[in-house]
Amino acid sequence: MSAPHAHVERAAAQATLRASAYTPRIASAELLVGSTLAIAMVLLAVAGRTLELERATRIELAARFVRPGTSGYPLGADHLGRDLWCRAVEGLGWSLSCALVATLIAGLVGTILGVMAAEHGGRLRAVIAQCSNLVLALPGLVVAIAVIGILGQGYWTLVLTLGLLTWPVFARIVMAETASLLTRDYILAARLAGADSTRILLTHLLPGLRATLMVVFAFHFADMLIAESALSFLGIGAPVGTPTWGSMLADSRQYLFTAPWMLLVPGGAIVLAVVTVNLIGDGLAARSRRLARALEH
Amino acid sequence: MTTGAVAGSAMTTPRRQRHGARRFWVRRLIELAVLLLGLTTLLFFLLRLAGDPAYVLAGQEATAEQVDAIRVEYGLDRPLLLQYGAYLGSLLRLDFGRSLTTGEPALAAVLTVLPATLLLAVLAMAFTLIVAVPLGAWIGFAPDRRMRRWAARGVFFLQGVPAFVVGLLLVQLFSVQLAWLPSVGHGSPANWILPVVSLAFFLVPKLTRVVAANVSEAMREDYVRVARASGAAPRELLYGYALPNALLAATALIGTQFAFLLSGTVIIEYIFAWPGVGWLLVEATQTLDFPVIQAVALIVGTLVYLVNTAADLVIVRLDPRISGADL
Repeated sequence: MSAPHAHVERAAAQATLRASAYTPRIASAELLVGSTLAIAMVLLAVAGRTLELERATRIELAARFVRPGTSGYPLGADHLGRDLWCRAVEGLGWSLSCALVATLIAGLVGTILGVMAAEHGGRLRAVIAQCSNLVLALPGLVVAIAVIGILGQGYWTLVLTLGLLTWPVFARIVMAETASLLTRDYILAARLAGADSTRILLTHLLPGLRATLMVVFAFHFADMLIAESALSFLGIGAPVGTPTWGSMLADSRQYLFTAPWMLLVPGGAIVLAVVTVNLIGDGLAARSRRLARALEH
Repeated sequence: MTTGAVAGSAMTTPRRQRHGARRFWVRRLIELAVLLLGLTTLLFFLLRLAGDPAYVLAGQEATAEQVDAIRVEYGLDRPLLLQYGAYLGSLLRLDFGRSLTTGEPALAAVLTVLPATLLLAVLAMAFTLIVAVPLGAWIGFAPDRRMRRWAARGVFFLQGVPAFVVGLLLVQLFSVQLAWLPSVGHGSPANWILPVVSLAFFLVPKLTRVVAANVSEAMREDYVRVARASGAAPRELLYGYALPNALLAATALIGTQFAFLLSGTVIIEYIFAWPGVGWLLVEATQTLDFPVIQAVALIVGTLVYLVNTAADLVIVRLDPRISGADL
């Protein structure tokens, strides 16, 4: 690359940048909207947990099928007269906690195995790569249903099953990223300066992986939200009686004629949560793409 | 129709290709065997971890005598490793045991309902392609135009809508409010529309985004710019140059996402009471019908693996830059 062409290159790169994604212009807006919504949701979930909304499970037959907007019932009531707003908030706490822990399990296992594979190479790398391909080839929901069906419902059964069935999503990307980071000069320099592999891992590799991990984490979190609500909808995820979005959807099926809001409240909640997390993921991805390109030029 | 990718044809001798092909199949068969072994081992030990399998196998309403009879019949009084060996032996003879609710062989129960699931999956995949490829190509061809930017945002939003929620909403709209379409059953094509559209929702937004991203990227590649400079019409640029390359990525995605789609059929079949494998699985977990649960997991696992392998073969055919030995 000779010097006179440098400005042409840069102009071309900028043009590419402008046209690169369909959303770059709103990338920061995406992050802003996404994180604002996410913070609001977390606060709401925490408030719901601390207030212990007993109306979420209290059966009040006088209030059966109360319409949304009725005083005291902003989102209406279900077939047992339970307040849908309180149920939705309780479900929010359950969903966020399940998705968070399942994603953490997948992320931890996947990152550890991915870094190990890339650092050691050779046979270990081959075994880990094969294992992750095999797990990826499984029809996840089918295996999850089989496993939970056998073990019985419960919070830990659910999050462990989801996490341990999806770690290859992280392992694959971490493996590729780590392998490319390990060839960088600054890692070599650190090695030459006498840093041991723990120090290299903590001070050089993990910070280098951070941007990628955040993007994968966000999208995986969204997938876990959907998976959890799907399993709870089938009556296989949450223990019976827990107010969750999936179980609310399952309840709504018999009252499609009388109370469509029983479907729209949990359905809307799932969509809002997943879109929020996708906004954050997309915003982070666009930002790290731009960062990577800005560093190149 | 020439593309940039086809132009650089790989020079492999027939002999090397044959060798590569044999290695490919041997590796795939070993992988499949490992996959199935892993899955059966997992289910075997989970069943024993969950408690006394005799109770599970006997069903919920069994008496103490029935439980004891089951324990002897299945050899559950023997050491664990012997049980495991006997279990693998019977699986090798394709004996998956009998359904605890109907008494018919579990494998037969799965194979009877498999065609319904395949019909649903194939129709949904076709619908996905019909919608996602043109839409993605349209958005990706000029992603900065106003209409297409809004379309891209719409697709992004739809990606956040789980397919089973779409299914429930479609039932609400078309079966309940408008009463146009039936919501359950699978007898006539009118019954197929809602399940197929719902299932397609698992993939349409994702595939649209992938096609759009690849088309818009290809439009900036040198071979497209050269074609544009030498006077090719926009239509020709899209169909002759950008789209074929984008479809390669789409094919790869379809292969890897078939597992996802088949997983999706579980929940869609449950919503629409579609008598397929997923419906059978959910029914089986409600009664803890272990032989059926296991047969479903193994059959669907095998099926997904075969489709992934087929997708790899198609990609090798379509993209001469990849040779079979690379897979």
